[in-house]
Amino acid sequence: MTSTSGEAASTDEANNDHPETTHQLRQSFFYGSRSDLNFKFLKDLDDREFGTFLSELLGAVSELSDSGDPDPVIDVAYRWQIEAYRGHLGDPADFPHRYADTPSARLDKPLAESRVGLITSSGHFVDGDDPRPFGEENMSQAEAEARIGEFLKVAPELSSIPMDTPGQNLVVRHGGYPVQAVAADHQVALPLGHLRTLAEEGVIGETAPSAYSFVGAASQVRLKKQVAAEWAQRMHDEEIDVVLLVPV
Amino acid sequence: MSVGHVQRAIEASGIPTVSVYVASFGHIPELMSLPRSVITPHPMGRPLGAPGDGERQLEVVRAALQLLTEPEPSIVEMGHRWRPGGLIGGRQNVDGYS
Repeated sequence: MTSTSGEAASTDEANNDHPETTHQLRQSFFYGSRSDLNFKFLKDLDDREFGTFLSELLGAVSELSDSGDPDPVIDVAYRWQIEAYRGHLGDPADFPHRYADTPSARLDKPLAESRVGLITSSGHFVDGDDPRPFGEENMSQAEAEARIGEFLKVAPELSSIPMDTPGQNLVVRHGGYPVQAVAADHQVALPLGHLRTLAEEGVIGETAPSAYSFVGAASQVRLKKQVAAEWAQRMHDEEIDVVLLVPV
Repeated sequence: MSVGHVQRAIEASGIPTVSVYVASFGHIPELMSLPRSVITPHPMGRPLGAPGDGERQLEVVRAALQLLTEPEPSIVEMGHRWRPGGLIGGRQNVDGYS
């Protein structure tokens, strides 16, 4: 194995004394030396599953070389992501935020006459209106990922985003999920233009003046006990009839 | 789970809500007893569709809003296949993109 930098070479050297275990390898994708939020789920697989994942992935890559069809590669990554998140839940009774009751409100007017609100946990904000987490302006995506543990301890901030905001005026920063797709096209999670289209078509009455975004990696206790009710009141204050929510 | 708390609070306050979850988090609507959700067969971080795939994104938004017109709350899984949008690293497929 050749290294492309002195730093990598010294790391390899050090690792010769303490070979990396499979467990450490899996963990390294979860905010570690190989941090990749698309594959942070590898932490949750056991070593046997990890081996099967790798074997299937390599098989799909070999197939891709001959067929030119990338779908099997995408399928392997997608299936194992679901397996990691849903196949390792354990007893549903132990799920930390389980509820027995389902709240249910009724839309008392046609959708075509309703004002539609939008809330996403994508971490978007309008350029120049940085929510300044921990008092810091212009925090980078890399720093947000490095400080994910701190984000998880504090209440989230709601950023107001006028519904006619052009895409080039939006910034996304969120340490908890892979943001590259949303950064390339905000409508992957923040469908401002699609809601405007539906208003023009008459499918909905109108959009609310602003959409909202926050960093979903936040204190669940503060969100549940205080913040969620405050945001609900905000929807009432803006006379919003229905709310579309897009978690990431 | 963050959005689940927000959705429950807004719905409980009297405003109907609907959420869109990717398949990896498709267990959350049921476990958190959310009133209305659409579950999309998309990778994490791409809830409405691929970047550049405005057609699919709008289709998901329509499906979600449609749930608000149904008489009973429900959780629905969409059955389409994931497809790349071509905006990253490939050709520019920007139909419906704004």
